[in-house]
Amino acid sequence: MKRILLLRGAELIVFALLATIPLLVVNPYALGLLTLLAIYGILLIGLDVTVGYLGQVNLAHVAFLGLGAYTAGLVVTKLGLGMAPALLAAMAVGLLLGGLLALPALRLEGPQFALATLSFSALSTTALNELEGLTGGAQGLSLSRPPVFGYALTPPLFYWLCMALLAVVWMLMRNLLASQWGRAFEALRDSPIATDAMGVGTYRHKVAAFALGSGLGGLAGGLYAFNFQYLQPQSFTYDLMIILLLGVVLGGRKSLWGAFVGASVIVLLPNLLSNRLLFQVFSGLGFAMALAAGWRGLMKKTTRPFQALAPVAAMGLLVVGGLLVENTEDWRKAIFALMLFSVVVGLPEGIMGFLALFLAKLFRVPHAPLPEPSDLDAVLPVRAADGSPLLVLEDLKRYFGGVKAVDGLSMTIRSGAIHGLIGPNGSGKSTVVNVISGLYTPSSGRTLLRGVALPSGSLFQVAQAGVARTFQNLQLFGELTTLENVMVALKGVYRSSLPLVLLGLARTEERRARADALALLELIGLKAQALTKAKDLTYGAQRFLEIARALARKPDLLILDEPAAGLAHPDVLQQIEIIKRIHQRGITIVLIEHHMDVVSELCDTVTVLDGGKIIAEGTPEEIKRHPRVVEAYLGHPPQTETSGGAEPLPA
Amino acid sequence: MNASIIGQMAVSGALMGLVYALIAYGFQLTYATSKSINFGQGELVMVSAFFSLTLTNLGLPYWLMVPGGLLFGALLGLVVERAGVRLALEQKGEGWILLTIIIGLFFFSAAENIWGRDDRPFPTPISADPIHVLGVDITRIELSVAVGVLAIMGLVELFKRRTLLGKAFEAVSADRDAAELMGISATRTVMLSYGLSGSVAALAGILVSPITTVGPTMASALILKAFSVAVVAGLDSGFGVVLVGMFLGALESLASFYLGSGWREAPGLVLLILALALRPTGVFGKATIRKV
Repeated sequence: MKRILLLRGAELIVFALLATIPLLVVNPYALGLLTLLAIYGILLIGLDVTVGYLGQVNLAHVAFLGLGAYTAGLVVTKLGLGMAPALLAAMAVGLLLGGLLALPALRLEGPQFALATLSFSALSTTALNELEGLTGGAQGLSLSRPPVFGYALTPPLFYWLCMALLAVVWMLMRNLLASQWGRAFEALRDSPIATDAMGVGTYRHKVAAFALGSGLGGLAGGLYAFNFQYLQPQSFTYDLMIILLLGVVLGGRKSLWGAFVGASVIVLLPNLLSNRLLFQVFSGLGFAMALAAGWRGLMKKTTRPFQALAPVAAMGLLVVGGLLVENTEDWRKAIFALMLFSVVVGLPEGIMGFLALFLAKLFRVPHAPLPEPSDLDAVLPVRAADGSPLLVLEDLKRYFGGVKAVDGLSMTIRSGAIHGLIGPNGSGKSTVVNVISGLYTPSSGRTLLRGVALPSGSLFQVAQAGVARTFQNLQLFGELTTLENVMVALKGVYRSSLPLVLLGLARTEERRARADALALLELIGLKAQALTKAKDLTYGAQRFLEIARALARKPDLLILDEPAAGLAHPDVLQQIEIIKRIHQRGITIVLIEHHMDVVSELCDTVTVLDGGKIIAEGTPEEIKRHPRVVEAYLGHPPQTETSGGAEPLPA
Repeated sequence: MNASIIGQMAVSGALMGLVYALIAYGFQLTYATSKSINFGQGELVMVSAFFSLTLTNLGLPYWLMVPGGLLFGALLGLVVERAGVRLALEQKGEGWILLTIIIGLFFFSAAENIWGRDDRPFPTPISADPIHVLGVDITRIELSVAVGVLAIMGLVELFKRRTLLGKAFEAVSADRDAAELMGISATRTVMLSYGLSGSVAALAGILVSPITTVGPTMASALILKAFSVAVVAGLDSGFGVVLVGMFLGALESLASFYLGSGWREAPGLVLLILALALRPTGVFGKATIRKV
């Protein structure tokens, strides 16, 4: 309760203060700056969706600002419509073009994504310049604010409009980003493969995030047009894009307050540069901060020397440069560069990331309390296991060029079994798992779940069909907490439609999701670490969490890909215990494992692969004595018996 | 339309395209060793060109100015690696994208203030007289661009194949961890690749400046097209960038002729977005198998 009061209280106070300013101050210059603050606030909240939550360097946002501005301008000047339709159109253009750009950019990560967005930006500038008949080209486009309900919008009224829109955007985005959608965006950033494998769907969420961010860019563009009432293509170029990135990164990623702080910095920058004294004071402050932060980091050994020293050097250059240079305006790009460099290297969490920790301590803001865990029987009901065939592989093949990784595999996994899949390195175990779970498309053959063919070549669709898997090389969502990792994957809880989520009317299911996820964490013994970031867990705990997350899919079939790999002995014992507990709930398990003791302890049936083919199948005891298995592992037939068993043992 | 004019435009365009290919080759060099590219490479081209111009103005003969410019480019490449790339690589993150953009911005601002905002001519001893080849006019400057580009690419490829250091380079490109285990310092190899990449950028600047003149914004259009070439060809095919570079150069030369000069950049950008959508590893790139 105290947490909610403090957080909402801070928002209320700031917005109330901002709303009363025009009543107290009549300085038109200050009002102009505050209007810009609101517009850039909306713009940066949009940019933060892609840069912060999706974690991609998005260089197209400035294009959406420009396209939105021109759309609004053209709607007013050419179509003669009012402000509301103009703003809606600006937002729609952002949403639509953002969605369209996201489609090809969908498969791209990191540098390629940055390049695609950069090209889009350049294309949009070219188009705005060259389509002279429509945009006026380099001449620019003049427009005037149309009246709203017959009232001319005076500067204070327009300011209130912008602030009101910022407040609305703020609330909607807060609701959205705190919901399953926000978690999915972050999951996507940390591991796209696992996001698909948990049935969340990278496709939908990446397009949605990008379209949404771009839509806000378009809306901000509409307001920009009505604020300046004159548009030029040169206003929306790479230079402004860098400043926007500076705003988001300096303010703090993944934070509405961060976007707000960033917007304030952007608005104040020109004043900072034109006033020499102000500039020297601020660069001095920056230098002192870099020095303090660097010193602290070095003493506590939390940062590398470069991370501590480079910002100090950059800010030092800023201070010295400020004394030497005649006109700081001329060097504005270099100044941005130095500031941005220091923040990216030395303060990756931004001002708000740093301040949030400090304020949380100062006001003793408690963590949101955890609910009581749900009843495990409600989250993961015990199912009847009847031993009927659950998963059937029919002559499955997967070739990589000439390599026959899986070469005609037929096997049956029975409901309620723990079915071991073992084999020497390179025998095709992992490929089998990757084909079943949809990461690879089989070269030929089928997989049937309860007699129905599983979709091939789509992690997402296979996950939806009821198969969950873990990953041998951990694919956790590192920046999310343990609890959130499980919540992302939780099946059958999130039913509210997007509008309800935006309006904050999906709180009940959010509470239920927390309680359900907590029950699963209790099952694997990680309840106490529910609020720890996954990347900060011990290696063993991370392996357990992979299993809890897969269980959140409430799967018919659970595939565990080397769940004991690299674990210390006590952790192996705990892992065995966890798998037994899951088995007792009637979930069928395929276990790929190297530890023979784990396999012996858990499995009813074991299939042995070598060279992509089955060489033996049977109980663990039969397998251990099977001559071809011994040969595959040790390289020569056992001395005591003649190796006659060329045929696989009947299961 | 007159076929000879089209041929003339295509040939001049293709020769210009070799410059894009050379800058794109610079991306490939660093991508091979570190899976990173310098988003501020255009600024390296521009600053090196300015520096070379200063060397010329100081009275250095052309054949001494060129190595001086290349050395300066290599130095800038090393600065980018140290300040923008190494930390991000150590953290296995993608921070280098933003950092190299930032460093590029700094170079841009510095060049603007040191050398001024105006475009300046770049003197060259090579004459601008055209030679007639098969009904097409090619200037000696254009020819020098082609020769320079192919020569340095050939030299670097020879270095990679024939010298021990070059083989270390190839080893780190193939498998960074395995190379480290064999006693090759991956960090030094990445430095080497950034140094080479900087030199290549400097040469591109020196070769193209007599045609485009030297100014702070001289590389902003160049670099977009170099990105396109690198992505369309694939970031691991040296042969591919030459082909794609010439193709794109010819294409944009024709586009600006038919659609108007403002649309000059458009084909490259469209090609790039298409290539990213349809074949993210590039036309000549190798497809990789996702592993988990």
